[in-house]
Amino acid sequence: MIKQQPNITSPREITISHADILTAANGVKLHKIDCTEDEVMRMSFIFKAGTRMQTKPFTASTTANLLSEGTQSFTAHELAERLDFYGSYYDVSLDRDYVVITFCALTKFFSQTLEVARQMLLYPTFPQEEIETYRSKRQQRLLIEQSKTSFQARTLFSEALFGKGHPYGVSSDASEYLNITREDILNIYDTLYIAENCFAVCSGKITADIESGILELCGAIPSGKTKAHVEFPTPETTPTVFQQHDGAVQSAIRIGRLLFPRSHPDFISMQVLSIILGGYFGSRLVHNLREERGYTYGVFSGVVNLDYDGYLAIATEVSSESTKDAITQIYHEMNRLIVEKVSVEELEMVKNILVGEVMRILDASFGIADVTIENIQNGTDNTYLNRMLSEVFAITPERIQEVAVKYLDPDKFTTTVVGSVDPF
Amino acid sequence: MIDYKIKTLGNGLTVVVHQEKSSQMAAVNMLYRVGARNENPEHTGFAHLFEHLMFKGTTQIPNFDTPVQMASGENNAFTNNDYTDYYITLPKENIETALWLEADRMTGLNITPEGLEMEKRVVIEEYNQRYINQPYGEQWLCLRDMAYKVHPYRWATIGLSTEHISNATMDQVDEFYKRFYNPNNAILSIAAAYEPEYMFELAEKWFGDIPLFESEAQNIPVEPEQTEARRMELTQKIPANSVTIAFKMAGRDSINYYVSDMISDLLSSGSSARLYQSLVKEQKILSAVNAYITGDVDPGLFVVTGQVLPGFTIKEAEESLWREITKLQTVEVEEYELEKVKNKFEANVIFGELNVMNKAMNLGFYTMLNDLPLINKEVDIYRSISKSQIIDCAKDLFRKEISSTLIYNIEK
Repeated sequence: MIKQQPNITSPREITISHADILTAANGVKLHKIDCTEDEVMRMSFIFKAGTRMQTKPFTASTTANLLSEGTQSFTAHELAERLDFYGSYYDVSLDRDYVVITFCALTKFFSQTLEVARQMLLYPTFPQEEIETYRSKRQQRLLIEQSKTSFQARTLFSEALFGKGHPYGVSSDASEYLNITREDILNIYDTLYIAENCFAVCSGKITADIESGILELCGAIPSGKTKAHVEFPTPETTPTVFQQHDGAVQSAIRIGRLLFPRSHPDFISMQVLSIILGGYFGSRLVHNLREERGYTYGVFSGVVNLDYDGYLAIATEVSSESTKDAITQIYHEMNRLIVEKVSVEELEMVKNILVGEVMRILDASFGIADVTIENIQNGTDNTYLNRMLSEVFAITPERIQEVAVKYLDPDKFTTTVVGSVDPF
Repeated sequence: MIDYKIKTLGNGLTVVVHQEKSSQMAAVNMLYRVGARNENPEHTGFAHLFEHLMFKGTTQIPNFDTPVQMASGENNAFTNNDYTDYYITLPKENIETALWLEADRMTGLNITPEGLEMEKRVVIEEYNQRYINQPYGEQWLCLRDMAYKVHPYRWATIGLSTEHISNATMDQVDEFYKRFYNPNNAILSIAAAYEPEYMFELAEKWFGDIPLFESEAQNIPVEPEQTEARRMELTQKIPANSVTIAFKMAGRDSINYYVSDMISDLLSSGSSARLYQSLVKEQKILSAVNAYITGDVDPGLFVVTGQVLPGFTIKEAEESLWREITKLQTVEVEEYELEKVKNKFEANVIFGELNVMNKAMNLGFYTMLNDLPLINKEVDIYRSISKSQIIDCAKDLFRKEISSTLIYNIEK
């Protein structure tokens, strides 16, 4: 029985809760989104304390991860018990620029969770024994990660893009964990976990008590001196990198190029271009490498934004014997975007995918916090989303081609491969 | 708590709906009661390969993904040993697009021999990516093979070998589709802002005229009781030695399923849990440790696993794991610790119900278990577990003769 396809509604704008901004006496801003009837809340504290701020390998992540390993009032074990007993979540995430420390709790256990957050953010003691346990634990974990071709390719790709010595490109041997000292950690904590380097976001059911509790904690974060701006070295990109991995049945491929920091005017068009290329299931790269050729289980492209730079990255794992042709096909798909205009239908679909993606993230009361954090990091706020969408909906096939010509020049790209066959 | 309404259409399709007034999104979940358990032992990996084929288009809709994406939707699927699940989330105004697509591929799947060949290659690359080209990648293939001798849980959903995948034929595709992809073998669950009656009307509109097809029931062989400790040692180029012990545990309908789940929480839920505190933090024998249950419908596995730090032998690591787990057989759990894991379980249930997708998926799952009311009872069941039940269950669970141990040695 043939049935008529239902009509489709394409949302052209979205409803996003506005974040109220509250400012503590020390200048720390708390962005509050009171958005649910569910009895849950989330609070995140964001510090500009990512890996580019470290002068010694692994010290940025070690500092962030050791906040939970002992404070003036509680041992590491007691802190863990206090979170687990009330079913609260605690998570640390870290990238090149930022550390995000997040607590999620049932609202009825907010005050108990806040007390743990206060201890961890304000009074960590970084006990020597915990540092040692952490170092050997993490060293082994890194060694396991480093034995994966995908991890090796990711590391080599950053190096190839930025250069080995660059804060965005640097990677280190696992043995460097053993050189971390308590002084390194204290130094990072004292200089970076300060009010001038921090903002906070809370979402979920935010009552007056919850709001004032978080704001008080924000206000207690000590003031300090922000570091003088260090000139960033100019990145040096290497065109091709191959690393032999004997016995690998697949090659891990990373292809990409440097772009621009978060604030660049081509940023949104470039994002749309990247989605067309490899940002969804059925994208050009998925169609070519997976559906047409069966080389891979998956392929993805995305734009990564950093405070001082940004890049396009294409990632896939392909069967060893198809490595060479897979690389050819990836460049072929980029070239098609330069020489042929994208069809109106394909562009329309990608715009719809993008708006759906935003709606899905915003639908859960914790997802909205992630969006808010990213907007603040980009120097904007939640009104950005509808501005972004109206810019997206105005993009024409001509504009996509213009951006492709500008940014998909193969001479500007780097290709990194880890596997058993050298394709170069 | 999830409110729901349930109804069975004339053709046997079970429909479960939940009204989520505040959400802009609709979630449509289609669960088929077929998984790796239903496969012919000579053709394993087939249910999962078939899941891939369900995205290859029908006579009426040659490309499944395009209409979903045009409707700002996102869709995916997974296969496990017990069932296969397809899900779509999209703006609620577009809910009928999801129903149209799911109804269409329940009857009109159109697989060409070329399409099958290409998808086999993709699945073999998935096999390579997940199970071969990873350190410890074949762990689950080995554990299942050791722990089960008769029951189809002895193979992973990806299949026993890549040959099984490459040998799949068009006839098998037709037969599998006919036999398992029927309304009376499927559960449609929806979470969206609409009135339940309206969602039932939509289900009737899109699925009501699909004909009923009764396929014969399948007998799944029962795994005989294990009576001897099993062990397998691999020596590979890996960065750390590891120990994994899998014990046979109770099926989904037994109270001991919940007690075992609670025991796994006592051992390793959160960083205050026993294994991490004792073996990683205090004794520093392991760099990582975990205990979990596989969550299967039939008797599944309780797994304890750890990565060994340099300076300790595999034997020492193994003994340390046994010491911790057997403590639960003799020493009663303190009131505080019991309360902790119960609180954490309850919080996890609440955190897990925060979006429409999870709700629709859970409704499908509990309907598949033939006990939908259970969806709102598990916290109470968990709360009711006593200290003596834990001791009894631990005695039953942690026995050498029902264990299968997998060791990874670093190749020197």
